[in-house]
Amino acid sequence: MSRINAASLPVGLALLIAASGASAQQQQNPTRVGAQDPLDSQGIGTYNLAGSRDRVTSGTAFNPAISVILDGVYKNTFSGEAHSPAGFDGGHDHSHGHDHGHGMEDGFNLRETEFAFSASVDNYFDAIAILAVDGDNVELEEAYITTRSLPAGLQIKAGKFLSDIGYINKQHPHDWQFVDRPLVSEYLFGDHGLQDVGVQLSWLAPLPFYSRFGIEVLQGRGGIANYVGSEEHTIVGYGGDPGTEGPTRLRWRADNDLDDSSGPRLVTAFAKFAPDLGYSHAAQFGLSGGYVRTWQNQEGHSSGRLETWDGDAWFAGVDAVYKYDSGRAYGHGNWVVQGEYFYREIDVDYASRDFVDGSTLAPTVSGGTADVFSGTAKQDGAYLQAIYGFAPRWNAGLRAEALGLTNNSLDPDRGNNRFESFGTSYRYAAQVSFMPTEFSRIRLQTNYMDYADDNGDDHDHGAWSVMLQYNVSLGVHGAHDF
Amino acid sequence: MLNRILLATLLMMVSGLASAQLNVVASTSNMGMLAETVGGEHVSVRVLAPPDRDAHYLEVRPNMMVALRRADLVVSVGAELEVGWLPLAIERSNNPRLNPGRSGYFEAGAQVDRLDEGAPADRSLGDVHPTGNPHVYMDPLRMADVAEALAERMAELDGDNADSFRRNAAAFRDQAESAVERWREEADGAPGVVLFHEDAKYLLELLGVPELGYLEPVPGVPPTASHLQSLVRGLDGREGVIIYSGYHSSRGPDFVAGELGWNTVVLPTNVEVGGSAEDYFALLDRWVSAISRLGS
Repeated sequence: MSRINAASLPVGLALLIAASGASAQQQQNPTRVGAQDPLDSQGIGTYNLAGSRDRVTSGTAFNPAISVILDGVYKNTFSGEAHSPAGFDGGHDHSHGHDHGHGMEDGFNLRETEFAFSASVDNYFDAIAILAVDGDNVELEEAYITTRSLPAGLQIKAGKFLSDIGYINKQHPHDWQFVDRPLVSEYLFGDHGLQDVGVQLSWLAPLPFYSRFGIEVLQGRGGIANYVGSEEHTIVGYGGDPGTEGPTRLRWRADNDLDDSSGPRLVTAFAKFAPDLGYSHAAQFGLSGGYVRTWQNQEGHSSGRLETWDGDAWFAGVDAVYKYDSGRAYGHGNWVVQGEYFYREIDVDYASRDFVDGSTLAPTVSGGTADVFSGTAKQDGAYLQAIYGFAPRWNAGLRAEALGLTNNSLDPDRGNNRFESFGTSYRYAAQVSFMPTEFSRIRLQTNYMDYADDNGDDHDHGAWSVMLQYNVSLGVHGAHDF
Repeated sequence: MLNRILLATLLMMVSGLASAQLNVVASTSNMGMLAETVGGEHVSVRVLAPPDRDAHYLEVRPNMMVALRRADLVVSVGAELEVGWLPLAIERSNNPRLNPGRSGYFEAGAQVDRLDEGAPADRSLGDVHPTGNPHVYMDPLRMADVAEALAERMAELDGDNADSFRRNAAAFRDQAESAVERWREEADGAPGVVLFHEDAKYLLELLGVPELGYLEPVPGVPPTASHLQSLVRGLDGREGVIIYSGYHSSRGPDFVAGELGWNTVVLPTNVEVGGSAEDYFALLDRWVSAISRLGS
């Protein structure tokens, strides 16, 4: 990450601008003598009559290393209609529509264009900032510093970063072996996986086999650590008699009854072990988990009804990856097999309330009882995938996924004062990739989605989609983590 | 009594560990050979990339971090040859002694001048190295310079054995100089070589043998049919030999050799892991003999 070989477009442009500025300065103007250009300020020019006026500068030489990742996908759902897997709206950032947020729509999709800037700050810190431009939004994907001089195998990372839990969580989309993020990562942790602001302390133990331990203290926002805090719930309506007067605006407001909880609200821990298997084989096994002190969510309806969830959560999981390096050129004969399983519990008090007057919310009543109850959502997910380099520069892979093997959701069944349970959703994917060089990749993937439906009738319609992706990187040579 | 013997043995073992040799991690087996040659019995060397792998395309493995975590010195070819894995492995090893700029960081490529330095940084020309051709280990004279620089570095880290390191490096230079003299005679008048990749360019330059072409159309891209055909057209009627590594596909070399009536030779560019200076010179002997006798 700390390589300085900045030859990418932005640097090139910057150099060009700098160079043109410099050459303008050095241009000698023979008609200058005597003629007074009215726009010239006093003393401009580079004639070294009274000592050099040059500023000794390293110019743009200290620019950070820059890389840019471009990613485009053409998608077509050619059979069936895709909907969200049942039971996972509660912990997910958006809850309506078929394909939402970072999901892809049919047709052309320009996915996140990533701009990464990295450099050593000084002899104590490295820093990296990664911006993702996604349609009209610019998002700060990661921005963190890491220590580079701590003794005893310790390292501290601080800022916004992708958590080290699991295996795929830390990877950016261009490192993935498939076009899309595994369901377990998206639906248990969030659209970007577990990505949060905080501090990580990790330790590489001085053992004869790889063993790395870490803890992270994170602010806790979104996804697995959803947080709302105390807010005013407001609805606006219009009243008045249209026959006699204009409409009058009515504003009803009440506290959402969720307590503020100061951060950090999320603590995670991870351990990774890798036996020494020599030059051709490598495997890593990971354990990770976390505790969320405050998990909150709310959903306001236009009718004025407000649903709130308030409690805490924890998760735990295992991950494993195996890689075989055949030693042949261009990845021919290589294998990568990886799998992860994660389980989460969200233990909450649920309340459905409605306005009884302009400033008071009271529980709604279904089936003769107030819609206020406590419950625990228990959900999990797993995937297993394998990639094989079947020819030089080509690979093919299969992935099988299950989401909600246990699927006690946060969707309220208000008549019975409990949360609903749903069936398991499955997705299968097959992909073929061609990598002309290590800087470019073209990938064809087909998915079969067999998602549980929230209408109770499970798996009545599967859906097929096909995706064609290009993914290229400009700038510094991308090193891939294990 | 028995207890005392046990205690004494234990103390000896512990003190043996404490007075330990310099812990050196070498990126490739050639760099391991050089570290072993210069360091002698005062160093223990661990090699990260075996000779049957293309060091350019290796990926990070966790056992690299384990080795680097406890290393006093990392010796790499450098000049961006290992850029896809070594910088990251060093970073992940959480061992500040190995950071570039510190005594624990040593690149062979940084000790000598490199061919093709200042090439344009344009990836449409392939996987190019604007910092110059990194394969300096194919030139034993440059390796002798590297050995001397490495001896000074080891002397900085372990002053007690400085003389030994310098003697070893001087002995390596003597061997290299007499070998090069011999090879230049042997390869005198050799018609030329087609390589798969620019990895043996330094050797050809040293021997004054023409490089007739490369099977890769641009560095890092495997041979294409049109490129092979243009190679064959351009070399028709000339003499030469094709030399490539075991990790490259034999199809391109076999096609060109068949069309031209040449021989192909498969030769590694690195010694076996744990190989000695003698093995290194023996390997280059095989290269020189393949170049001068056209693989027959």
